[in-house]
Formats: sequence, C-alpha cells, structure tokens
Amino acid sequence: MNEELDSQLSAMFDNELPESQCELLARRLSKDEQLKARWGRYAVIGATIRAEGGPRLSADLAQRVSVAISSEPAASEPAQVPPRRLGAWWRPVTGVAVAASVAAGAILFLRSESMLREGPTAAQGALVASSASGADHVLVASAGSADSYVVPKTSPRRAIVPTTQLANYVVAHSEFSSPVNRRNLLSAFMTNEAGAGAASAGGAEEVSEEVDDDAKSAQ
Amino acid sequence: MSADVSDLSLVRRVQRGDKGAFDALVLKYQHKLVKLVMRYVRNPAEAEDIAQEAFIKAYRALPQFRGDSAFYTWLYRIAINTAKNAVVSRDRSPIEYNIDRNDANEESYDMQGRMKDAETPEGLVLTDEIRSVVNAAIEALPEDLKTAIVLRELDGLSYEEIAAAMDCPVGTVRSRIFRAREAIDRRLREVFEGGLGRTEELG
Repeated sequence: MNEELDSQLSAMFDNELPESQCELLARRLSKDEQLKARWGRYAVIGATIRAEGGPRLSADLAQRVSVAISSEPAASEPAQVPPRRLGAWWRPVTGVAVAASVAAGAILFLRSESMLREGPTAAQGALVASSASGADHVLVASAGSADSYVVPKTSPRRAIVPTTQLANYVVAHSEFSSPVNRRNLLSAFMTNEAGAGAASAGGAEEVSEEVDDDAKSAQ
Repeated sequence: MSADVSDLSLVRRVQRGDKGAFDALVLKYQHKLVKLVMRYVRNPAEAEDIAQEAFIKAYRALPQFRGDSAFYTWLYRIAINTAKNAVVSRDRSPIEYNIDRNDANEESYDMQGRMKDAETPEGLVLTDEIRSVVNAAIEALPEDLKTAIVLRELDGLSYEEIAAAMDCPVGTVRSRIFRAREAIDRRLREVFEGGLGRTEELG
C-alpha cells in the first residue's frame, strides 16, 4: 500500500489532515475495506495504549452496527434550519403577533363588509356628491357658507335588538353571564323593544353568538 | 486546524448517503464508547449492546447533526442517554421467579450468544494476545516514536503540542506517529489475521 496514503490515514485518524485531503481520503476510506481494516487497527492500538479495551477488544461490534444500519434508510442531508439566535421567548410573542394580525384583518374585513351592505353613510354621500358636482362647488361651499357638521345616521344593525326568545334565553341563563354583560343585554332589550320587530334574523344570530361566548367564558 | 475535520468529512459523507463512512466512525469510536458505557453497566456484553444501540441512534439522528459540536461530543451524549435509559428500564423490569422452562432456556441461550466471543476462554486469550502484542511493539519502538505515539494516544495532545514538547517540526511529529503505528500494526495484523480467524472457526 502507498506509504503516503497510509501517512495521510494516520494523520486523518488524529484529525490532523487538511480538510481538502480529508474529503478525498474519506471517500476512499468508506469504499476501501483494506484501508478501513487498517483504520480499525489504529483504533485498537489507541485503545490498548489507553487501556480502553476491556475484555472485548476482539469483539465485532463494528460489524454488528454495520449489519444493523444496512437495513436502515440512507441518512440524507439535514433540512436547512434557521440559526437559533433568539431565545425561546420569541415563540409565544410571534404567536400572539400572528393571532393579533389575523384578528385585526378579520375586524377590518367585517367592517368593510358591513359598510358595503349598509350603503354609503351621510358623510360618504356628501363626499360623493361633492366629487360629482366638481371641485369649484366644494370651494364655494367652504368659503361662503357657515361650518356645518354631518351627523352620521346610526345604523339600525348596530343596535342590539334581541328577540323575545333570545331575551328569555338570556334571562334563563343569566347565572352564567357576567353582571356587566347581563345588564347591557337587558337594558338593550328594554330600550330597543320598540324596534324589535324590525330586527333582522341576522342581527339576532350575532347576539346569540355573543351570549354563547359569554356563557362559555364563564364556564 | 479544526479539531474535528476528519470526523466531519466522514459525517458529511454519511449525510450524503454513504453508509461505508459510518463504519469508519464506528471503528474509530467503538472502544471509547464501550468504555464510557461501562461506567453505567458492569457487564461488558451489555455495554456493547448499549454502545451498538447508541451508534444506531446516532446514525438515525445524523441528518440533524449540524456540526455545532464535535462529532464525538454529540455521540457521547447519545451514548450517555442510552446507557441511563437502559439502566432505568432494567431496574423497572420486574423480577420473574416463575420462569417457564422454555423461556429460561431461551434466556440462557441468548446470554450464551452475547458472551460467546469475549468471555469465553478463546476470546479472552485473543484479547490478552492483542494487548501483549501491542504493548511489546510499543516497548520495541525507538524512543522518539514511542514518545510521540504515547503523547498522542494517551495524553491526547495535538501534533502542534507534541512538536512543542519534543522540539521538532509538526511534519516530523506526523511522520513519527505514522511510523510508530505502522510498526505496531505490522505485529497486530499477524494476530488479527491468525487470531480472529481462529475464533471464528471455534465459534
């Protein structure tokens, strides 16, 4: 066998071979059984000098491991994992941030949906009107007339208008509700009783969900 | 030079699917690992079984090894955990007094199988032979070769540290260690080629 190769093998065994040479020799070592046997004997020499051998220096542990892993799937490259620079604290913070952004997105979406369903508010109507009639009108209006305010019309959907059936449900299950929520719902029921007939089924469903959530949180 | 460069080269090859490179890592560290496990269990056969299990676990976990620590440090941790778990599960397993005759025979057979190549007189003689051959070969080495190999293997010094201790270039240290190993290996090969074959015939 090539003496230079054996010298490299000895240095590689001691982790003293340059990396570029290690790559080449590692490839050869994994394929060449004769070289592997020599490598194994270098290990026996070291173990004997350190008195590591115990009673089983001659045992075929390496062979048994080799047989066992021959039935294993080949180890593949590790998946690229981002470096762990941050501590463990960032995980819950990230979770909260994601949850908050999802909640904010949902609120914005629902708001815009409800605005679309309700049609333009008074302010939007004024803006649309001024845009339609041209910029001059806006200037004249702002210069010549007194300041005026547009009071947005209250949307009937915003009022909590429970049905009689729902009111009965709230009263029956009020023990599970917090005092503040119970008071709000009952006062809303009383003040909006007159408009209850105009309440849509969708509105009732919304309130029903609120009550259910409240009951769940109490439990 | 990185302390783990050759191990890392072998590890990278295993991670690319080369199982033969893992054999080299097992050959290099099997003795160290068995000695380590022997701190937890007294029976050498059991220590070998645990070491084998640790190597297999390491192989399975190797795709996750990123080289942040030295390979042996990583392997060491796996072996320690495997040994601790083995001790715990052994202590938890109930002692059976009413052993069925067939079970007892199987257990006895299994124990015989595990002990066959080391604790049998042939195995012990062979191990003693290896030990005495290596020790005799070391004694026969010229003083500078003997010092170099002992500083490396027993004291774990790097080539640079040995060069400083022996007041010679690093290249000379590398050459001395290689020549020492070659001299011992020539004697050892005779034992392995004759001795191991003899054991297999006996088994």
